[in-house]
Amino acid sequence: MVQNMEINVSFLTDSEQEFILEVLRRDEELRRLEDLRVRKLKSELLETRRKGAKRGSGKYSERSCGRCQEPMGLLTSNSSQCRVCKHQVCRKCLSVRPNGSWVCTVCAKEIDLKMSTGDWFYDERVNRFSAAPGHDLVRVSLRKRPLIKKKETAGEMLLNRADLNSSHVVPVPKPRLKDVALANKSSSLEAYEGLDVREQQRSDTESIEKASLGSSRTETESSHSTPSMQRKEEPTAKTSPTGSAVSILMAPSNSDIPSTTETASLIYHMNSCSDSLRDVDGLFKKSVRRVHKLSDVKPASTLDLHEDGTESAAPSMRDRSKSVPGLNAEEDEEEEDIDNLVNIHRQTFGKSLGSLGGSRTTLGSMMSVYSEAGDYDRVEVSGDIVFSLSYDESSQSLSIVVHECKGLAYADAAKKKCNPYVKAYLLPDKSKKKTSIKHNINPSFKETLKYSISRTQLMTRTLQLSVWHYDRFGRNAFLGEVEVPLDCRDIDSPVEECMALRGKAAAHLPSSPFDQYKGELVILLKYVTANKIHTEGSTGKGKKTKPGDGAELHVLIKEAKNLTAMKAGGTCDSFVKGYLLPLKSKSSSKKKTPVVKKTKNPNYNHTFVYKDLTLEQLKDMCLELTVWDRETLSSNDFLGGVRLSLGAATVTEANEEWVANSTGEEILLWKKMMQYPDSWAEGTLPLRSSMGKAK
Amino acid sequence: MTDGDYDYLIKLLALGDSGVGKTTFLYRYTDNKFNPKFITTVGIDFREKRVVYTTNSPNGTTGKTFKVHLQLWDTAGQERFRSLTTAFFRDAMGFLLMFDLTSQQSFLNVRNWMSQLQANAYCENPDIVLVGNKADLSDQREVQEKQAKELADKYGIPYFETSAATGAEVDKAVVTLLDLVMKRMEQCVDKPAADTHNTDGTSKLDAVPTAEKKCAC
Repeated sequence: MVQNMEINVSFLTDSEQEFILEVLRRDEELRRLEDLRVRKLKSELLETRRKGAKRGSGKYSERSCGRCQEPMGLLTSNSSQCRVCKHQVCRKCLSVRPNGSWVCTVCAKEIDLKMSTGDWFYDERVNRFSAAPGHDLVRVSLRKRPLIKKKETAGEMLLNRADLNSSHVVPVPKPRLKDVALANKSSSLEAYEGLDVREQQRSDTESIEKASLGSSRTETESSHSTPSMQRKEEPTAKTSPTGSAVSILMAPSNSDIPSTTETASLIYHMNSCSDSLRDVDGLFKKSVRRVHKLSDVKPASTLDLHEDGTESAAPSMRDRSKSVPGLNAEEDEEEEDIDNLVNIHRQTFGKSLGSLGGSRTTLGSMMSVYSEAGDYDRVEVSGDIVFSLSYDESSQSLSIVVHECKGLAYADAAKKKCNPYVKAYLLPDKSKKKTSIKHNINPSFKETLKYSISRTQLMTRTLQLSVWHYDRFGRNAFLGEVEVPLDCRDIDSPVEECMALRGKAAAHLPSSPFDQYKGELVILLKYVTANKIHTEGSTGKGKKTKPGDGAELHVLIKEAKNLTAMKAGGTCDSFVKGYLLPLKSKSSSKKKTPVVKKTKNPNYNHTFVYKDLTLEQLKDMCLELTVWDRETLSSNDFLGGVRLSLGAATVTEANEEWVANSTGEEILLWKKMMQYPDSWAEGTLPLRSSMGKAK
Repeated sequence: MTDGDYDYLIKLLALGDSGVGKTTFLYRYTDNKFNPKFITTVGIDFREKRVVYTTNSPNGTTGKTFKVHLQLWDTAGQERFRSLTTAFFRDAMGFLLMFDLTSQQSFLNVRNWMSQLQANAYCENPDIVLVGNKADLSDQREVQEKQAKELADKYGIPYFETSAATGAEVDKAVVTLLDLVMKRMEQCVDKPAADTHNTDGTSKLDAVPTAEKKCAC
């Protein structure tokens, strides 16, 4: 059966793998375009749908068109019923299908959309594959989230995997769950690794860069601070012989650092399809088995969530929620999935001390180019780089000739030492090419770095040339960089260009969930004592009676301001969701406001009521409010959130304890609410860009 | 060429024995050129072409025109790539099943390819066009038209004798497949969701309005 089919690519030679990777990258580019197109189409449909259709609520005349709401004549029979939505519509709102039948304009648009987006195909395919008997876990995941990865193609999967492990068995299509869960293990451990990176004694920049380029960051030679961490991380390090892992493995011996005689392209090959993979092979297979066992033991739901975690870690182009850090999970319209998403959101960042929110995403993978891990030496940037670009039509390749650098800074000013080399990326692509290493501050390279890429693709890229100091024993140092957008550049004549090097442009790493401005949420809180509730309507300054049974927490979600625009036209259709944690029971705790459409500054004026709470209980509770952009046809997008509590409250959830890391306004407002029962405490809270938790 | 200005992205895939001319066929189709050299395809590859597709209205008049972006997957015929290539079957909407008119063996293998397709494609009866290539080498011909036609009829799929060298029938074969896929698409969306799974192997148009599908309004 298809489910059990596996792609075994281990038989491929290195050059074959390279070739296939190139094909897959081209495919990825096409998919990216397609994705943009589909997204646009879907927002168009929403537009059409909005245009005055009869809705469940509201009163409409029987004799008006269900679409344009124009009144229809009493006698003339100029209306007909749409066979799909059953609305009576006027002639103007009819659309004839190619087969001669007709439907109303909105249904027609929906049908068209299904065709033009290719959804018809994916729907068919899902039918086939879900009907076949599959692995239990697979079925569980299908039931829970039928839309997930509906559109995933073999190429996409292979490409993602290719980044991970270029010569191992790749299961196709659905059993990926296991592997994905496995891969996720590494991503969920990233946080630890992040710490380790800092503790690492001799992590050179190269290895970190590579690690961050792959989707899972692993450090093999790191010195772990605690034994438990070590244990947890072991499988990670071994089971992801990604490009990154490989290069890390190589890093200690510095074998990936080019000797001056080698050409850069050779080096590139060495890096990406490495011989050393084979060395890891045995190791890899062994540990795979182990981890599989581990994940099998886990309940399916956990795996399910893990799957999402992985998605957020994987640098995939198909992601449709790029603006949401850590939120790549596709989600359908089911309630449950929103919950999942929240969970994922927490889980993914859970262990990262709630501070690495923005870094592990598609954006993250972009940023990783900037040696996001941040573990390199900084020196003052100075000097220029001289290079030229030319495009060769016949071989479909871009040649970057790095001529020289002038007046570089000394990496080690005291010893007047500098071993510069130049590294090139065609952003947002992740493949890297490097020159050889020189040993002075005015190095002459005269080396050509070649990229095979079609001209049209090239237009969407930005060339980044960065200069690094190579330190055999310590950490590499960043010496400066330039970026050249290729969309409006003459690449046909190789003109020598001299550009001044500059410091890191976007190297700043969000160090707190608030670094990224996501707008504000205006809310009012009121603790209503039991007494008050019973004497409803009285305006007396009611004395606090025994708090406890019958007392309620009222949360009035008033409005949000300056939300991130998600939809065409710079708007969003947002709603707010609330959780009072720890959950007493999921159903009682989760609340949602209605969706407020087409504005970045929505007025919700909706109250959540949480019942039977004592003030004592509230001390150890935490209110999470998250704002979401409603997507009818794909996943809802996370717009931001707040976490209200007394600050250091330790919340016990299931088996997990975490500390609510509320800050500033969030704490003040919660305090105010508890201090003054029966009166509204109002506050304007900045939205967090991630809901990571501290452990 | 790869901008997003198109109405449909249609993914087709060519399969068949090694050396039947899948790559040159696609090269002829996309670039209208012929490369007589045999370069074995490494695993998979694809080419792209933008075409204009015109729907046929039932009353005979020409219908709407659409810009279709074709992604034409080329697969390696060699056995050693088999596991890789079949994995890509599931992503294609239509198939060019090719054999070499000068090789009886490649024709006999059509049967095997057919069952590979049935097992790995997005549905059990995907749209397929049978293509006998190298029609220009008439003196070396081993497969007779009648033979091939019979097989195609048995499967209920169209058959074309093409030549990548001269370009004969190449366009027609692809366009026919595109037409089948576009019709399938119409059929899929116009039918109620419950029985979109067409198992009778034909692609007749179902014009009877069956209003099961819910409108989301």
